[in-house]
This record gives sequence, C-alpha cells and structure tokens, in this order.
Amino acid sequence: MSVRDDPLLRLDRVSVALRQGGREMVSGVSLSVGRRELFGIVGESGSGKTLFTRTVFGLHDDAVVSGGEVTFDGRTMPAKSHHTEMKRLLGKRIGFIPQDPFSSLNPSMRVGAQITEALYLARGLSPKSREARDAAIAVLAEVGIPEPDIAFRQFPDQFSGGMRQRIVIAIVLAQEPELLIADEPTTALDASTQRLIVDLIVERSRTRGLSVILISHNLELLRQSMDRIGVLYSGQFLNLFQADQLAHQEVHPYTQALFDCIPTKDKTLADIRPIPGEPAGAGFGLAGCSFADRCAFAKDRCCATPLPINDAGQARFSACIIGKGA
Amino acid sequence: MGNLTSYPKGALEWAAIFLAVAILIMALFGGWFTPYDPLQIDFRGKLQPPSGEHWLGTDGSGRDVLSRLMAGAQLTILSTLVVIAVVLVIGCAIGITSAFVGGWLDNLLMRLADIWLGFPPLILALGFAAALGSSLEAAIWALIFSWWPNYARLSRMITNDILSEPFVAGATALGVPTWRKVVFYVIPNAFDVLIIQVTLDISAVMLAISGLSFIGVGAQIPAPEWGAMIAGGRAHAGSAWWVVMVPGLAIFVTALAFNIIGDMLRRELDPTTRRRA
Amino acid sequence: MAYILQRVAFSALSLFVLVFITFLLSHVVPGDPAIAAAGPNAGAEKIAALRTEMGLDEPFVTQFLIYCGNILQGDLGTSWFTHQPILDDLLRELPPSLELVVIAMVINLAISLPVGLLTARYNGTTFDDIVRLFAMAGAGLPIFWTAILLQQSFAADWQLFPVAGRIGFEYRAFEGITGFYLLDSILRGRPDVFFDVLSHLILPAFALSLLFTAVGVRITRTSMIGEFRKDYVTLARAKGAGEGRIMFRHVFPNGATPSLTVFGMQFGWMLGATVLVEEIFGRPGIGRYAVKAVTQSDIHGVVAVVFVVGLVFLLANLAVDMTLYALSPRKRAEG
Repeated sequence: MSVRDDPLLRLDRVSVALRQGGREMVSGVSLSVGRRELFGIVGESGSGKTLFTRTVFGLHDDAVVSGGEVTFDGRTMPAKSHHTEMKRLLGKRIGFIPQDPFSSLNPSMRVGAQITEALYLARGLSPKSREARDAAIAVLAEVGIPEPDIAFRQFPDQFSGGMRQRIVIAIVLAQEPELLIADEPTTALDASTQRLIVDLIVERSRTRGLSVILISHNLELLRQSMDRIGVLYSGQFLNLFQADQLAHQEVHPYTQALFDCIPTKDKTLADIRPIPGEPAGAGFGLAGCSFADRCAFAKDRCCATPLPINDAGQARFSACIIGKGA
Repeated sequence: MGNLTSYPKGALEWAAIFLAVAILIMALFGGWFTPYDPLQIDFRGKLQPPSGEHWLGTDGSGRDVLSRLMAGAQLTILSTLVVIAVVLVIGCAIGITSAFVGGWLDNLLMRLADIWLGFPPLILALGFAAALGSSLEAAIWALIFSWWPNYARLSRMITNDILSEPFVAGATALGVPTWRKVVFYVIPNAFDVLIIQVTLDISAVMLAISGLSFIGVGAQIPAPEWGAMIAGGRAHAGSAWWVVMVPGLAIFVTALAFNIIGDMLRRELDPTTRRRA
Repeated sequence: MAYILQRVAFSALSLFVLVFITFLLSHVVPGDPAIAAAGPNAGAEKIAALRTEMGLDEPFVTQFLIYCGNILQGDLGTSWFTHQPILDDLLRELPPSLELVVIAMVINLAISLPVGLLTARYNGTTFDDIVRLFAMAGAGLPIFWTAILLQQSFAADWQLFPVAGRIGFEYRAFEGITGFYLLDSILRGRPDVFFDVLSHLILPAFALSLLFTAVGVRITRTSMIGEFRKDYVTLARAKGAGEGRIMFRHVFPNGATPSLTVFGMQFGWMLGATVLVEEIFGRPGIGRYAVKAVTQSDIHGVVAVVFVVGLVFLLANLAVDMTLYALSPRKRAEG
C-alpha cells in the first residue's frame, strides 16, 4: 500500500461524551475517509451526528472525545491535547461549513473582510493587501457569486440563503483545506437551492481534490452525490456502505427503512413506509441495538447483545447482529 | 450551573430567603418591640457608639438607632410593598384590558406606557412628590404614578401570548366569558412572570423610596424611614459611623436579599427556559 | 428613511406627553398654582392678581396652550429662590451635571462591556458566579449611601480625592467658555485645571455609576451569550481564529449593539439620579438645583428640571438609535 492510499482521516472506535457529568452521547465510531473521497454521514435529528462531528473537530465546548483514536494524515491526536491539536489543523488543513447560513456569517463584517480574514489565518496574507483582495474575489467567482467585486464590499444580509451558503463555502475554500466538513449545509435552504449547494460542494471538491465529510438527514441527497455513507442512529454507528450499492445490495435494516421512506418515481404512495415508533435519541447508553424496538427483524437478543464495532479500515460494515447487511 | 450558588445546594438562596422573611416580620411587627421609643430625644446621650445598652448606638439627637431601624422597617418596607401592590393591580388591569380590547385603545395605552417607561422614574417621582408636597404618602403616590407602565407592558405581553394559544381559542369558540378567561387562563399563567418582576422590583422601589426620603421629598426627618435616617446622620458620618452605616446596610441587605431571590426565581421559573426543558 | 421618520415621530409624541405631564405637575396637581407661584407669604390680593396674570381663569385647554407657548419661547417661569428666569438657571446648572454623567457613563461602559463580554465567554464558571453576585449587590446599593461612604473614606479619611465642590479653591478664578470645565481646561491649555476638575469628578461619578454598571454588566452578558451561540462564532473557530480574535473582532461588535440602547436610556436615568449625588458632594448641577427647589417649595423649579431631564433623555435615546441605524450593515451598504 502506497502512502497516497493512506486514508486522510481515520477514526478508530471514537466516542464522544458530555464534559459535565461525562454521559456518553456517541459511542464507538470507526471509519476512514480516503483522499479525494466524498463521505456522507446520515442520521435523524437527535442521532448525535452534529454533536459528534463538532466535538471530533474541536468545535464543541460542552463535549469531549472520551475514547478511541483520531488520526489525520498519519498523525494520531494525543487524547489529552485533542482539542489543541485539532485547533492547529482548523482553518489550515481542515475546513468546516456550519449548518445555518443565516447565522454563520458575521452580520457586521463585510463579505470581503470575512474572506481576507480566512486568508490571513490560513496563509498569513495581510488582510488589506491587493493579493488577499484578488484571491478573495477569485474564490467568490469560483463559487458562483455574480459580480464578485461588488459582493466583496457588501454585508451578508444583502444576500439570499443560497448565496450566503456560497459565501461560506468561498470562505472555507479560500483556506485551501484538504478535508472539508459540511454540517447539514442545506437544511436551512429551500429544496431547489439544496441541490445546487450540494452540487457546488461536490464539484469544487472533485476539482480541487479535497476529501469531504457531508452530514445530512437526507439519505437520498447523500446517495446521489457521495462515495460512501455512514449511518448514525441514537449515538450508535450502525452501517457503512458504498453509496451506489444502496439500491442493489442488502444494507442494515435501519438504512433500508430510511431508504423505504424516500419517494422515487417508481414508487407509489403506498410503497412509502414510515418507520414505526419514535427515534430513541442519543445518550441513553443502551447495551444493545438502539433501533431494535422499531426494527421489523428484531430478535430478543438485539436489545441485550453489545453492538459489534468495525475496524477503521473496513470498506463496508453493518452493526446488525442478526446478519442483515453485513 | 455555577459552583458558588449551586454548591452547597443553594446556600446563598436559603440565606436570602431567611433574611427576607426575617425582614418582613420585622417590618410587620418590629415597631411594637423596639427597646426604646424611636423618637425619644436625649441630647446628653447623643452619638453613643454601639454598646450593651444601645446595641446599634444612638444618633445625633440621642435616639436609639436599633429602635429607629426596627420602626423604620415598617415605613420603608411597607411603603415599598404598598407601591408594588397598587402598581401590580393597576398595571395589570390596564395591561389585560389593553390586550383583550385591542385596537386603538391597545395602541394608545401601550404607546403611552412606552413613553412613560422611558422617563427616569426617580425624576418623575420627584416632580410628582414636589407637586403634592413632601411627605411619605406623596412619595408613595409619586412612585405609583411612575411605575405602572412596567406592569401594564408585562401583563399585556403575557395576556397576548396566552390569548394566542390554541386552548384559549378553543375556549372562545365554546363561548367561555372573558372574566373566566382572565381568572382561569391569564392570571395563573402570568403568575410566574409577575412574581419574578415583583421580587426584583422590591429592591428598586425601596431604593427609590429611601432616595426620595433622603433628598427630603419623602418621609420627613425625624421619621425613622431608612433613607431619612441616612439624611439625618450625614453630618456625623465622620465621627459616628454607625449613624449612616446601619440604615444604609439595612437597605442594602434587604435589596440584596430580594435581588438574590428574584434571580433564583428567574432561573427556576422563567418560561423561556422552562418551555425548552 | 422610514425608520428615521418613525423614530422622530415617536420622539415628538414623547415630547408632547412630557410637556403634558409637566403641565399637570405644575398647574393641576398642586391645587392652586397661583399660591405656589406667589410664595408662602403672599397676600390674597397678590394671589388673585397672579391668577389672572397666569391665565388660571382661562379654561383648561387654553391654559395648556399658553403653557406650551411659554415653553416654546423658552419661558420656564421664574425661580422662587434664585429670582432668576429658570431657563438661565438651568443653562448654568446643566453643564456640570452633564459632565458628571458623562464621566459616570465612561466608568459604566469601561466596566460593563469588558466584564459582560468575559462573563459571557466564561458563562457558568466561578468567575461568572462571582460577577453575578457583585452585580446583584451593586443593584442593591443606595446611590446616596455609597456616595456618603466613598466621600467619607476616600476623601475625608484618606484624602485621596477632594471632599466636595467642582473645582479646587486655588482655581476658583478659572473662567469657562462652554461651562464644561474638562473641555474648557483643554481649550485654554490648562492641564493642571483639567486634572483638578477630574479629581473632583471621580468619586461622585463612581457613586453615580455603580448601580447602573451592575445593570449594564447583566445586560451586556445576556446579549453576548446570545452572540456566542451563533454559528458565525463556529465558523470563525473553524477558520482557525483564536479566542481573542473571536471575542473582540466577532462577538463584541455584534453583542455591544443591543446593549447600547440600554446605555442610551441609562444616560437619562443617571441625569435624574444626580439629585442623589450632587448635594452630597456639594457640586453645582441640576440635581442639586432640583433638591433646593423642592426644599424651597419652588414647584416650577422642580418641574423645569423634570422637563429638562426628560428632554435630554429623549435626545440621548434618539441619538443612540440614529447612531445604531447609521452603523447598521444595511445602512452602511446603502451609503
């Protein structure tokens, strides 16, 4: 195996717990993201996907990485200084796009200043310099902002949600990261804009050769644009598969149930099956599978047997102990 | 979730509640149990430091400071409570009416309350007290006159919130009369918010009353109102610290106790935090 | 633009209510204003003459219109105890009071903004708890009591500051230009006078500001906590910005804006609270003027102070709102 085939990011049995009280919210997540790979994480609200990614990448004050190893580009983060080490990578090698473009831009700072600040933090370019200005306008043009030299001097509230998210993407791209993380980047946008934004992220990342982790509750969106998908449910990592296999191969019952909820052109309304019951929510420290009480295939032992945890290098994985989707 | 106030479990709050209750009891009954006559002048025994005979010393006219403090609690604190009780009733009546009637009346009353709320209450009360002639009653009227918009605004806001709830709309459809809606929906729901406001206002109104008395438009010297006591003792602040220190501390401790309770209530009862839980 | 018009209209309406309140206070509440105006020792004939002169035989509305007309001409009546037109008195007394309030506001802002920002950042820590306790204590301090204690300890006992007055005895001959001595001493190039005037201002300004600072810290803290939770802070962190940059470049400018409205209101309230401080520190000013007027039963003097404080309050709020509007991103983008 050559160096280039090393994964860029490797999570090995990573758990996340609240700082106060130490309650474990997400447990035993193993996955690896290859170079130039687009990786999707899907989960319902309350599954812990946002908490997990924010904590792993040092953006959450109230939670800590409580177990496992995080390795970035061959370097394993020491458990004690995870936060500090991660901060060193943020803005230089790792970029992060928050959820809500209506609040993720500083309302009192001009768009240009927010990009030149990013350039200064990543590459030390003087924010007032001609070079920084040109680079900022170039990246605004790259994400499809019309009249980027005018946008440079405008304030965020003069843009629509979709345009704002483009500006956020421009800020992150300007820093030329190797790994781009997007936390539900389209939830706050209307349906037609969602598609455009995801396409923009995918297309820019492919062109620039970035690795991407895209978090969403929308399985169909991920299936169409990502290479591999990981499934998080109630703080447990249930499934990992190639996106193009979803329709053709057996997957974890929860993933299957999610997939069955998606309306497509060859389905009638009667084919759309909602998942019975309520999602359990993260942080209850269940011994067995947290999906067991909603699962059509569940056996008694599902609730009691500890979930299997995969190896970080595995290409596909199912946590189902009765052998579905493995 | 701080350490100082939550561990040991609410020690500060319990101390504040204990103090507040003790002070209220003193305000209600303290006047009957004073060791000396709070107005008895004794020039030979003036400015005596605290001793076994006079626990908190005597003032510039030889009056017993402890007796004056106990008798003054009645003046200071009961006047405060009177102001708040009246303002609460009048303000809520205006606010609830405004919300129920709506339209131009609502607009007019709330605009007026907005404007009123803007003016510095102390200076407005000063003007009113001066117009009425200086006395504790004038100061009480003056504060009622300048404080009502707080409660009008608050109660109108709460009432509007409740009226927009589906269960009240349902009640309207069933023909529940307005007075029943006020008694059974508005008042119980407004209770939490109002009790927080009342607790926090106790210290503010008390500071205003004692301030008005201090500058001479409220209770008149030699009445043992705490602010007036400070005014009377000012000349001796250098030689006899207790004359100014004791009534000032009484005001401060009372205000602090009610502030702490109010802060606790706000954190416990505040609907914005409670709804989320 | 619509916002500005709306805001000015509201101020005009407030001014009208203010005039009406002062009219009620001076003409209706005291019973017979002629008796009040004539003074305690006037005879029945003089009172009757005054009643006609003051238009008290006219109907209520006419009286109010006369009152409005007088105010528009700057006629606030004649003071019973200075025997001067009240307007002249107030123009003389206002600068020292404004000077005091400005210094108190500087102290207030210098404490409230940074402490509010830090407690928001370290929300829930012991530091936050201690500040909250101080804020609750500060909100319970009677201003006049604090003033006496500060004067007694810092000035009388330890002699670190002058006990009373506005300017030292050795500078009594100092002639102002604007009436604001701090400004005047700079204009006349007199640093010695400047520091003397400043040292007279420190204690009263501090006494005046404590209560307002306690409120200011809490308001700022609440507003900053709201900002820290917003996603632009997450994005700034993700960009690799340090905590200092996040606090001062990102959170502070956004979080300070809403609290500025409160500080604008506090300016007027502080001016009102000078009645509790100026007398103690023997400073000239409208606060002491109001107290004197009250003790001399000069209702017109008191009401004039109410009017002026209300007016300054309206103007201060209008100025703050206009400034915030001018600074708001949308406005700046237009310009």
